Amino acid sequence: MINISYNSFLVIDTMNLMANVLINVVIAFLLGSLLLGLHRKIMARIQLRPGPPVIQHLLHSLKFFFKETSFPKTASMPFYVSITCLYCAIWILAVIIGPVTYGTLLIIFAIYAVYKIVEHNAGSSSGSPYGKLSCVRAVFSAAAEIPLFAVLAIIFLQTGTINIGDIVTYQAVHGPLIFSIPLAALVFFILILSKSPYSPFSITKGKDIISGFETEHFGVLRGYMMLSESIAWYVLLWVFLTVFFGPLSINGYLIGMVSITAITALINATTPILNPNHSVMSQITLAIVGIGGSLLLMFIV
Amino acid sequence: MNKLMVTSYSLLIISIILILYALIFSPTDWIVYGIAIVFIPIFILSLGLITMAKAKKEEEEERKEEPFIGY
Repeated sequence: MINISYNSFLVIDTMNLMANVLINVVIAFLLGSLLLGLHRKIMARIQLRPGPPVIQHLLHSLKFFFKETSFPKTASMPFYVSITCLYCAIWILAVIIGPVTYGTLLIIFAIYAVYKIVEHNAGSSSGSPYGKLSCVRAVFSAAAEIPLFAVLAIIFLQTGTINIGDIVTYQAVHGPLIFSIPLAALVFFILILSKSPYSPFSITKGKDIISGFETEHFGVLRGYMMLSESIAWYVLLWVFLTVFFGPLSINGYLIGMVSITAITALINATTPILNPNHSVMSQITLAIVGIGGSLLLMFIV
Repeated sequence: MNKLMVTSYSLLIISIILILYALIFSPTDWIVYGIAIVFIPIFILSLGLITMAKAKKEEEEERKEEPFIGY
């Protein structure tokens, strides 16, 4: 069966569906890894350190696949291993919903809800107190990050659809949404910021709890989780650029992804991690201001 | 070969067969999505479990007997 897709990141208009999925997953992994490497490099340069090469995140992900791995005695098997599989599965689903089919944003929302469950369960299944603390924080931070997704309601009110393909079509006619609902874009950007490494909001992976829910996942499982993280970062940036900047060319996506990565790196390098209460309250405040402000603007203008 | 390796090899073979099936025969979309969401992660994980370095025979006991320094 031939799949007719939108003009995806890689120009694939007619292609075998499975090949389309595989190519997009590989692109998401490679580009996501390089962007996370760039993120780390920019942070290091801002902090006057040389930092690792941009390719380091990619090399680390691959390197861990060949490292000796043992499983902690305290881990609850096979849950401890299968949760990493779920982690990867949700981001592959996100690639399918995003760049492959231009599907509904509601499933992206559901994926983020499941991601919180993954953080929670990866932490609790390891048996480590750091993991358990991270698992508690995952629930706590879900209370803050999920409201940020109320931005979907603003997008729906503005465009009359929740489908990424239709939103792109709407923007082709009416111009990018970033100009009509800028506060909603800001709220979505806060969500991106909260997912970036060393973010002031990333309380689940704060260094006060070592590596949070990933502490006891090392060796091949860590490599596997890093692979999923790379795909997650790519998908998040792709959704933001597609939903708020409309139909973009490959260069547009590349410039956008590099710019957002650089901006988040700048913010993260100069901002300490907030304590959990402050992190949650800041995000909820920003969500209320962003969504309330957007609604107000929509009714006034 | 221990249980982990047998399981990993089995899952790797199953996932390769199903991914190739979806690639070659192009079944209905929802079947392709199902295979992609379930079996691409399993393919990567099983490949990782096979390629990871294992403890040498004489070191195995050392790994198990390592004192629990935790928590």
